[in-house]
Amino acid sequence: NASLAERSQRIKMAAEMGLVRSSRGRHWSRALGRRLLQREGITGCGCKNAALSTSSNVFEDLGVREIEDEAAEIGTRVRALQRLVPGGEELGLERLFEETADYIEALQGQVSAMRAMSCLLDGLEREKRMMGK
Amino acid sequence: MGPARCSGVGSGNSGAYTTEIAESLRFEEEIHSIVHPSLDSSPAAGGSFTALLGLPANQAVELLHETGPSEAPGSAAAPSPTGELWRLRLGEHAAGPLHLPLGCSPTFPSNAALVERAARFSVFAAEDSPALSSGGGPSPRLKAEPLDSDSPPLLPIPTEKTQRPAKRKECEKSKAKGPAKKSKSAEENTAAAAKETAAENTDGEKLPYVHVRARRGQATDSHSLAERARREKINARMKLLQELVPGCSKITGTALVLDEIINHVQSLQRQVEFLSMRLAAVNPRIDFGGLDSFLSAECGPLATANGRGGVALDPALWSSHPVTANGARWLPQPQIRHVDVWPTQQSSTAWTRDGPAHPHALLNPGASLVGYDPASSVLLNSNQLKTEL
Repeated sequence: NASLAERSQRIKMAAEMGLVRSSRGRHWSRALGRRLLQREGITGCGCKNAALSTSSNVFEDLGVREIEDEAAEIGTRVRALQRLVPGGEELGLERLFEETADYIEALQGQVSAMRAMSCLLDGLEREKRMMGK
Repeated sequence: MGPARCSGVGSGNSGAYTTEIAESLRFEEEIHSIVHPSLDSSPAAGGSFTALLGLPANQAVELLHETGPSEAPGSAAAPSPTGELWRLRLGEHAAGPLHLPLGCSPTFPSNAALVERAARFSVFAAEDSPALSSGGGPSPRLKAEPLDSDSPPLLPIPTEKTQRPAKRKECEKSKAKGPAKKSKSAEENTAAAAKETAAENTDGEKLPYVHVRARRGQATDSHSLAERARREKINARMKLLQELVPGCSKITGTALVLDEIINHVQSLQRQVEFLSMRLAAVNPRIDFGGLDSFLSAECGPLATANGRGGVALDPALWSSHPVTANGARWLPQPQIRHVDVWPTQQSSTAWTRDGPAHPHALLNPGASLVGYDPASSVLLNSNQLKTEL
């Protein structure tokens, strides 16, 4: 039986694939798909790296130093956003915002789907346990 | 201004603008001629992006009321509500946002006809704009009527070009700003240059348009105007994003808004990760094997309870097979062996009936699970979930 971590990793990849499939044609969707394919090839199954990086700080390495300069402030945030949105790093500001909006919507859909599913399965498990006893 | 604003914003039909704008223009102009609005309000949307240019929004306010200060080129973000209105109505429009020199003066021209014309022209611009010299977004041409295919965007002013114009000319000009963009004029920083340009105009309109920006010493070259159009677009996108992210609309300031957006995206991504862990935990048998076929194949992959490589199956088969192939939107369903999940094997007739009818419903596999559940509560639950989703 595979470990929890491995399984959750695979489930996560499947979730991301679901994201990709549900928003075909979008720039971020293609970029994410490419990333997943790479990742899958490299890791096979069981490596830790996920396509959706969840490092807590997207601002690191961006050299956030100048807080006074408003334009620079915005610049670092834009760069951080570019890292977050798959394929964002090659996009200009206008396209970046477009893709971000679509990406957010897709993520929200995916999250609610997964939530519903885990609720359902959770309920089933509970029922099963009750029945089993 | 309420109705005008509502009508303009969000509509995708530039053709419909004409009357709306004309009306609102008249409306606004009346109001403005009566009341001198305080030019302090700096709409976040408008003002925030000028930050990108380093031009504080307030500067723009001054522009219309002083003579040629050396203002920074580009964004004259309009702090005035009307300016914002203009931008909102016209700037959000798909093809080419009309980059009005936002600082529409509070003292609008009293001549309604002129105002209307200006509005008409600016709206036309979006439809008939020929290719622009500048690389920026399509600039709406001002002159729709005697349409010159060349670049005669500026309606010449017979006289008084060089004088400090009556306010109304300024406003005309500002409204007629779009085409100014096309007036390829790197040299139009002087009134004289403006005169030249105006003289070059081949149309015979006698509207007293003046190249205000030129007179003021602002850069009127196509680059800054194109930039302004670009910024309008970016502004509009950012507003959409603000609406998407909960609680973002109240925030003012580009940096903070961006912060919120970034946080939201990050939190969503984390939720996906957390939920996938939860899914893994809720049932130890859930797993995805053979993900490579998954990633490349057209049809969904299958997760097997015992970790075998998945095989894509025709969805129609699923009722007879404890396997689901799902390439649709939702997370590909893990295949859970029914015998394993439930201690007793129940007839699944109730659900298999439903199954093929909803091959792509999220809860299909869930349904198949529930099929074994005699407890009506769970059945109900899944039904509710189904309708929800």
